[in-house]
Amino acid sequence: MRSIFKTSAAALAAATMLSGAAYADGHGVSGPLRIFSDMSNPAPRAVMEGMVERFTEANPGVEVELVITDREAWKTQIRNVLQSGTADIVNWYAGNRMAPYVEAGLFMDISDLWEEGGLTETLASTQGSMTMDDGIWGVPYTYYQWGVYYREDIFAELGLEAPTTWEEELSNCQAIVDSGRSCYTIGTQFLWTAGGWFDYLNMRTNGYDFHMELTAGEVPWTDDRVRATFENWQTLIDMGAFIDDHQSYSWQEALPFMVNGEATAYLMGNFAVAPLREAGLSDDQLGFYQFPQIDASIEPGEDAPTDTFHIAANAENVEAAEAFLLFVASAENQTLINNGDNLGQLPVNSQAGVDDDEFLNAGFDMLSNNAGGGIAQFFDRDAPAEMAQVAMQGFQQFMVDPSTLDQVLQILEGARQRIY
Amino acid sequence: MFPRPIQQYSPAARIGYQALLPFALLVWLIPLLAVMWFSVKSGDDFTQGNYWGWPEGGLEGVTNYWMVFAESDMPRYLWNSVVITVPTMIGAVALSCMTGFALGVYRFKGNLLIFFMFVAGNFVPFQILMVPVRDLTDQMGLYDTRMGLILFHIAFQTGFCTLFMRNFIRALPRELIEAARVEGVSEYRIFWYVVLPLMRPAIAALCVLIFTFIWNDFFWAVVLTQSPESQPVTAGITAFNAQFRAMYHLMSAGSIVAAIPPVAMFFLMQKHFIAGLTLGAVK
Repeated sequence: MRSIFKTSAAALAAATMLSGAAYADGHGVSGPLRIFSDMSNPAPRAVMEGMVERFTEANPGVEVELVITDREAWKTQIRNVLQSGTADIVNWYAGNRMAPYVEAGLFMDISDLWEEGGLTETLASTQGSMTMDDGIWGVPYTYYQWGVYYREDIFAELGLEAPTTWEEELSNCQAIVDSGRSCYTIGTQFLWTAGGWFDYLNMRTNGYDFHMELTAGEVPWTDDRVRATFENWQTLIDMGAFIDDHQSYSWQEALPFMVNGEATAYLMGNFAVAPLREAGLSDDQLGFYQFPQIDASIEPGEDAPTDTFHIAANAENVEAAEAFLLFVASAENQTLINNGDNLGQLPVNSQAGVDDDEFLNAGFDMLSNNAGGGIAQFFDRDAPAEMAQVAMQGFQQFMVDPSTLDQVLQILEGARQRIY
Repeated sequence: MFPRPIQQYSPAARIGYQALLPFALLVWLIPLLAVMWFSVKSGDDFTQGNYWGWPEGGLEGVTNYWMVFAESDMPRYLWNSVVITVPTMIGAVALSCMTGFALGVYRFKGNLLIFFMFVAGNFVPFQILMVPVRDLTDQMGLYDTRMGLILFHIAFQTGFCTLFMRNFIRALPRELIEAARVEGVSEYRIFWYVVLPLMRPAIAALCVLIFTFIWNDFFWAVVLTQSPESQPVTAGITAFNAQFRAMYHLMSAGSIVAAIPPVAMFFLMQKHFIAGLTLGAVK
C-alpha cells in the first residue's frame, strides 16, 4: 500500500486490533442483512461491494443482500425503502439531512453502539454531526474537504501568492481580472455551487456558530450580519470575479474555464480534482488553498460533507447491522476505502491513514488543524431541504443581479418563517 | 381538412419550402445528433469544453460502447425492459381483443357505461395515481419487481387498447358475424375463427404502439422499481451518472443502445405503426 500513515504504526496496529476485535467478536452474527446503498458510480460501487465481500469473509454466517441505487434517485426513494421495511441498513448524510428520518422514527438510535464500540473516541470529529435529539443515528464512512482549487501556473505568471486574508484575496483578484481572466469559475445552474460560496463567506464573515444558527432558522435573513456577508460577496461580483452566464452551467460545465485558463480558481469539493487531472492539468499547475479569512478574530469553519450508514428502525437483523457499522468505521477499513484507488477522500476515523496525495494531505491537514470553528455539512445539508432550495435560488439570483438583494432577503425571510 | 399539397403552391413558395426543410430538419435533429456525437467522445473532452470539436484523444466510440455493454448493468436493464415490455404487450392486446369483442358485438345494458369507464381511465393523469399505486404494489409485495410493473402497465394500457379494439370491431361488417350465427357457430368460435383473423391489422398496429409506449416508459419505472434486478433501461440509464459527475459520453452511448429497439420496431413495422395511429380515425 502506498499510503503514509499520520499516526504511528503502533497506534494504528493497536487501533486496528481494538476495532477489529469489536466486530470480529460480534458474537458470531448471522442471517440475512439487507443493505440499500446510494454508492452508485463505479468507484464507490466497487468500494461498497468490496466492503460487503470483506465483511462476509469475516462473518461467514451473514448473507448480505446489497441493493445499489442511483445517488440522485435515492434521495426520493429512501423514505419508501425505510417505510416499507425492506432494508436493514441504508446510506444517507450527516447533519440536518437526517432530521426528517430521525423525527419520523425511521432511523435507529445507535448511541449504545458508539459507546461500546469506542466510536466516541475514534470518530470524535464527526460525532457532533451524527447527533440529533440526544441520540446518535448512524456512522460516517467518508468525508471530503471543500476549498479553493487554483491554477498555480497562472498565479505564478502573474506573480501572485495564494491569499490568506481578504485584502490579499481582493488584490489578487484585481490582478487576475486585469489580466483578462475571471478569478473564479462557477456553474450555478443547479444552485448548490452558490450555496458553497455562501457557506464560506458567511462562516468567514460571521463565524461557524452564526452560520449554524442561520441554517437552523434561528436568525432572520434580514439580519445585518447576513447583509455583511452579502456585501463581501457583492465586492467580488462587482469586480467581475466570477465568469459570465454562470447560471447556464452545471458545475462540470464550468470546469473548462479553469482548464482553458479563462478562470483561475474554483471553490469546490475535492471531487473536482479527478476531472481536472484527467483533462490534462498536472499537479504543478493545480494548487489548493483554504478559503481566506475575512475577520481575523473568527476561527475558520469548513464544509466537509459526511456520508453515512444508518440502521433502519424496523431492521430485522439488528445484530448483523451493528456489526457491519462497526466494520465500516474501523480504522483499517477507513484507510482502505478512502485511499486513492478507491474513494480518494478523507477517512473519518482519527486513527486511519491518509493517502499520499497533494490535495488529500492538504485537506486532512486543514480539517484536522485549521478548522477550529467547526465542520459544516454544506448549505443544502445544514438547512432543511425546502429552505435550502429557496435560499440557493436566492443566492443565484443575487449573483446574477446583486441589486435584487433586498427582494431576495425578503423571500428568504418569508420562507424561514413558513418552514421552521 | 388536410393542408393543401405543396405541389399546388407557387414556385417561389415551393423553393422556399425545399430550402427551409433541410434546415428545419437539422434543427429538430440537433439533440439526437448531439447524443450520437457525444457517445463517441471521451469524458475528458467535456472537461476541456470541447463539446462539438474533433476529440483530441481520438474517437472513443468503441471504448464507450464496450463500457456500456461489458462493464455496466446495461445488458441487465435491457433484458428487464424486454421482460417487462413483451408480456405487457401480449397481456394488454389479448385482454383488449376480448373486451373489444364484447363491447363491440353485443348489445346489453350498461355496454356504453362500461365502455366509457375504459375510456375514462385514459383521462386520469397518472401523476395522481403515483402514490396509491406505489402503496398498492408495496402491500401486494410487488414493489420493485418486474411483475408489479407488468401488471400495472397491463391494467393501465387495457383502457386505451379497448377503445381502439372496440371501435375497430364496430367497423367490421356485422353480416359476417350474423352469417356465422345463422350457421350455428358458437360465440367462442365466432370470436376465434371469424373476428380475430379480421382483427390482425389492428392487433399488429396495437402491438407496435404498446411496445413503444412501454419500452419508453420512464415515469412508472422510477416509481415502481429501484434496483438493477427490476429496473428497465429507461430508468437504468442514470446508473452511469457518477456520485459527483455526469458521464455524458456513457449516458449518450447508453441512450443510443436503449433507443435502438423501439426505433428498429418503428422502421420494421412502419406500416402498422401509421395504421395504428389512424385506424378508427377515419371511417
